[in-house]
Amino acid sequence: MSNVIERIGELLEKLQSPDFYNREEAVNELGSFQEDEAVAGLVMALEDNDLGIREIAAENLVKIKGDTASQLLIKFLGSEDIGSRNLASEILVKIGDDAVEALINELENDDHDIRKFVVDIVGLIKSKKSAPYVSGKLQDSNINVVCSAAEALGEIGDAASIKSLIQAYDNNEDIRLQVVEALGKIGGEEAIGYLYEYLNTDDPMILYAGIDAVGIVGNKDSVKHLLKHLESTDVSIAEAAMSAIVNISIENKGAIEQDLPLDKFSSYLFDGIKNKNKKLTEFTLARLKHWYGQDILNSLLEVLHYVDEEDLKSIVTMLGDIGTSASGAIIKQFPKANSELKIIYLNILKQYVDGSIAQQLLVFKNDTDPEVRRNIAFVLGVSGDPSMIDPLKVMTQDKVGHVRAAAYSALGWFCDESDMQFLFEGLNDKYTDVRDAAMGALILLGPQEVVAQFFEDLHHAETERQRIAANALGLIGDPSVVKPLFQALNHPESSIRKSAIDSLAKIRDIENIDPLMLALNDEKSSVRKSACTAIVSIKGQAIIPEIRFLLDDQDIWVRYHMINIIGNSGNADYGEFIQIFIDGNEDILKLAAIKSLTQLGCKDAISEISKLQNDKNQDIVSAAKDALDNLQDA
Amino acid sequence: MEITRKEENSVAILSVKGRLDLASGASLKDEVKALMEKEQIMIHLNLAEVDFINSSGLGVLVSIMKDIRLHKGRLTLSDLASYVQEIFEITQLSHIFEIFTSENEAVASYQTVSAS
Repeated sequence: MSNVIERIGELLEKLQSPDFYNREEAVNELGSFQEDEAVAGLVMALEDNDLGIREIAAENLVKIKGDTASQLLIKFLGSEDIGSRNLASEILVKIGDDAVEALINELENDDHDIRKFVVDIVGLIKSKKSAPYVSGKLQDSNINVVCSAAEALGEIGDAASIKSLIQAYDNNEDIRLQVVEALGKIGGEEAIGYLYEYLNTDDPMILYAGIDAVGIVGNKDSVKHLLKHLESTDVSIAEAAMSAIVNISIENKGAIEQDLPLDKFSSYLFDGIKNKNKKLTEFTLARLKHWYGQDILNSLLEVLHYVDEEDLKSIVTMLGDIGTSASGAIIKQFPKANSELKIIYLNILKQYVDGSIAQQLLVFKNDTDPEVRRNIAFVLGVSGDPSMIDPLKVMTQDKVGHVRAAAYSALGWFCDESDMQFLFEGLNDKYTDVRDAAMGALILLGPQEVVAQFFEDLHHAETERQRIAANALGLIGDPSVVKPLFQALNHPESSIRKSAIDSLAKIRDIENIDPLMLALNDEKSSVRKSACTAIVSIKGQAIIPEIRFLLDDQDIWVRYHMINIIGNSGNADYGEFIQIFIDGNEDILKLAAIKSLTQLGCKDAISEISKLQNDKNQDIVSAAKDALDNLQDA
Repeated sequence: MEITRKEENSVAILSVKGRLDLASGASLKDEVKALMEKEQIMIHLNLAEVDFINSSGLGVLVSIMKDIRLHKGRLTLSDLASYVQEIFEITQLSHIFEIFTSENEAVASYQTVSAS
């Protein structure tokens, strides 16, 4: 013990050192002792010049807690130094219940400032056992202490204090505001009952606080007490009453029976949405179902870009239900909106656009923002109105590629074969996305003439047009495209032959695959690989014995591809076709064969694969081990 | 093509299996028409098992969508296979259709809208 005291003494001495590190070490170590001397040292350190030291001391005092710490800290409440005083208050609040007894003892301190600080701290600690003592302070000779006591009782929230608070309200005009606020925090039937009484006051400050308090602790029954204040000529009172009703409504999941004069509060409610006030937004949007009128619609349209995605969806649905008048309002608001809002408007209009709406939108098709023009093109397309074809054709000449692409796509949704040549022109655009959009539109057109034109394009002077043609024929997917695609297998350009084969693979429903079988001998390995995939995709795994000669292909990647196709076939009988690769010279084929034989569950291959466990290539050794594990378990 | 039908939370769900082309598309259109005659205008198409769709199949979907819009209903699609997704992207039909990644997500979207 004496060693401990000795050590604490040393540390207290160190605390006086001008050297920061010495003081830091001392204050850290003092935190490990419970002795009063150590606590006193830590309290002393709260006055250190260095903030870091003060903070360590504060943390340690919170950890130690205890009466000594609290009593010493309370002494600081009378300090002239605001920093030390605040720090001591902060620590006492953190010490919490353990400090309450010491604090209560100071409620009778001669210094009214200390009494006030003590009451504030006790309020922040929220200890119920302090409530009767704090209630007593409602009779204090100093008004600041009395006000703090009322506030503290609100923080403590003990219903037993209500009587004292009511007496204080009746006896002392200066603390009525604090009493009302306290009742709003304490809540419960008794407090609410008094709050209703106070709503009859002539004092606007008290009334405002009362309304606010009822909004916090009120229930559905409270709404009727608030209704008359909605009619107040004092805007802040009326809006406070509306805000209180909103709170109660949200707390009760919207179950408010009374009719509310919402029109009077439309600016307040919609400003709430603009300010991203969650409660006002939720309340306002929920009320919209029963709250009609052109002004409301306009206000709603002005705030759409302030709401989140979920709310926006429900608004869009609501506007869809309103129908024509909503679209009229949107179009009226359109010129005033910024680009972000315009795009939201267009997305709404897209839900229920018809020829008439599309017609009205046309005046905005030259908007300065290309993103807006692009979205207009989509909306015009969704309208499906034939009179929009010409305006969309004009938009395909827009200076911005994205807008041209959107116009071509939109045309594809509803134009007919008389526009085919126009769409083919789009395939010459300098940008890929515009060419692809034009191709997409032609795919949707899909009549024989389109197929014939694409077939011609397979031999177009431009390679890009040839590529698009081969791709488009596959996407059209009609039986009529099979013949042109087969003919494309003789195309001089290998990429076109490959695209044609890939397209045939997508169509799949093909009887005679002879031209594809011939493609297995194509000079280009990429074509041969595609042909192999296409044939298996069309005919299924039963065709594999007929094309197994690709396992002898001169190109290692064709052989590799064929091994994988066999592995994916799921037919173990084909395992014998690829076992030979296990003894081969090419590691890549060995690995493919191991994987495929494992996939097929070929137990016959176990002895051959076992030999690979001593292979010099570690990847093969590891693959072999995995394969053996799998095959033996199978 | 096979079409199976079920109903969840007042949404008619049609699951389509196989190839969606002109011939099979006509059956799908008939099925949707029958639903609309029974005033069922909230329709979801699960296309998870559609392994092929051609321009005629797309035309059928566009036509179904137009009919449902005319009846003030709602059509959603989900589970587009990669090939179907590719063709939707090329034709930009995603701007016309409401497309969800899963059937559950699509059906939940009907609930969100009606609850709000």
